[in-house]
Amino acid sequence: MRKNARLASMAALPLTLIIGLGACLPGVARAKVCVGDDAGHELCLEAPAQRIVALSPSVTELLFAAGAGERVVGVVNFSDFPAAARSIPQVGGYDRLDLEALLALEPDLVVAWQGGNPREQVERLSRLGLPVYYSDVEDFAGIAETLERFGTLAGTPEVAASAAASLREDVATLRARYAGADPVPVFYQVWEQPLMTINGEHWISRSLELCGGVNLFADASTLAPRIGVESVLARDPEAIITGGMGDPNSTWLEAWGDFPQLTAVQRDNLFFVDPDLVQRATPRLLDGTRALCDRLEVARGRR
Amino acid sequence: MADASADRVSRTRGLRPLAWLALAALLALAIALALGSVGIAPDELVAVLLGGGDALYQTLVLELRLPRALAAFGTGALLALAGALMQILLRNPLADPYVLGLSGGASVAALLAMLAGASMALVSGAAFVGALVSILIVFGLAHGTGSWTPTRLLLTGVVMAAGWGALISFLLAVSPVERLPGMLYWLMGDMAYAGSPWPVLGVAIASLLVVMPLGRTLNVLARGGLQAAALGVAVRPLEWTLFLLASLLTAVAVTTAGSVGFVGLMVPHMLRLRLGNDQRLILPASLLAGGTLLTLADTLARTLIAPQQLPVGVITALLGVPSFLYLLSRSR
Repeated sequence: MRKNARLASMAALPLTLIIGLGACLPGVARAKVCVGDDAGHELCLEAPAQRIVALSPSVTELLFAAGAGERVVGVVNFSDFPAAARSIPQVGGYDRLDLEALLALEPDLVVAWQGGNPREQVERLSRLGLPVYYSDVEDFAGIAETLERFGTLAGTPEVAASAAASLREDVATLRARYAGADPVPVFYQVWEQPLMTINGEHWISRSLELCGGVNLFADASTLAPRIGVESVLARDPEAIITGGMGDPNSTWLEAWGDFPQLTAVQRDNLFFVDPDLVQRATPRLLDGTRALCDRLEVARGRR
Repeated sequence: MADASADRVSRTRGLRPLAWLALAALLALAIALALGSVGIAPDELVAVLLGGGDALYQTLVLELRLPRALAAFGTGALLALAGALMQILLRNPLADPYVLGLSGGASVAALLAMLAGASMALVSGAAFVGALVSILIVFGLAHGTGSWTPTRLLLTGVVMAAGWGALISFLLAVSPVERLPGMLYWLMGDMAYAGSPWPVLGVAIASLLVVMPLGRTLNVLARGGLQAAALGVAVRPLEWTLFLLASLLTAVAVTTAGSVGFVGLMVPHMLRLRLGNDQRLILPASLLAGGTLLTLADTLARTLIAPQQLPVGVITALLGVPSFLYLLSRSR
């Protein structure tokens, strides 16, 4: 018995040493961190994550904005912002992950896009023992909150808190500025063939509302409904805004010239905005919202 | 007496191609284990297979590659066997496992489940139920009263397939954009969905045990229903058995990997071009060759442009079409 106890204490000695050393390493926080994610799960890490894989371009942006950029070791296709993200190894596309490449990066945190990533594949990662945070950001409040959570998970709470605070402040400023603005009926064109827009649930619609825009398709039942040209003519927007395919010289807007009875065409209120700024729910949405507000101001000036 | 000795000759002649196909199958499985977007040296691979090796490699090989390779093998085997049975049943070279609308029924049910946001297990369950519903509708309509012919069964199935096709297009048109990639991958056939490989493998082995004793009867049936009836085969019960068996095999395959195309149509034809039309040989050979083809195709699908992943259905056709055309042009 006594022999066993001595053996155990001898075995425990190096273990305590290792743990002690780990705790003394400068700059490495060993504290346990916990956050709730957008799927309603409570996620706890023994220590802030050092190797993070981000499973959507938006998540990558949010992680960088939260100060965790240098801990991102894997991204998916089209993760092009900030520029540093382009040189990070890719683990496939958001809709089809290369699980081997992902596991080979030996991540200690995977941030998934709930609703975008294939559920079966993400669940398999969970079953293999990887901590998974499900992200589903819908508006400015969600962006700010997600920044704070990512800061907690990655051990960069100060950077994240200040990014979240300044975002909330800027949004409040913008909201106050346009609080009494005249309403402008807007059609936001997501795609041309098939013709697609967004309903009132989408953050683009909320951004338009913030600066006095009225999304004419806010009542649609799906987030990105496919609609007919007739329904656009019937609702007669005062402004038509599109991100096109990222090209300001897109022919999408010219095509509306076929319908001179539209108020938007008569007043030449056909506007382009950079789709990267408005179609991703990240801190850059603030710039996108400013761009949308500017377009609506131009439309008001042409009355 | 003469018949028995002829039988023995064909049996020994049949064993050699089967041995080669079994070897090819083992080779395909080995390749599937060895290749991936992460390079694993052969000695490391052997170490993992012997139960040791690097922990990361263990996860990659034993948790990701092995189950997926086995599931691909089982799915390919089921599809090729189902295709061979359908071709005998319908006496039509264009018959494949999906010709009677079964994959359409499975797809509609699977897409509905995806639309409702169901988990992958539920989607698979829905696909199986959809396939069964399609089987029952075709069975009920073609069974009916009056004359029954394979032509009537074929027409019923083809029209059902067209109907399901329209429903699939409708579902794709009204589905939220963010769900479309998952749905399209499912429709193209994709092993990334495959869970445990044991159901497909088990069904493949069980079905072979069921059809092998039927081999000689099927040889007679393949020459035509009248001839078979004249030779004392109970044609109609046999045909319904074939229909239900082939349908069930397809349903299990579609449930595992979505509607992977090409394997069920081409593998039996390729084997007939090389081995002749003896079902006792063609049926087990289809099982092995179908499994081999899909295992290789899936290995390519996940490595060809890694980390980008392709649906396996793309690769089966890209691999199969040229090799089929080559065999066809040489066989005249």
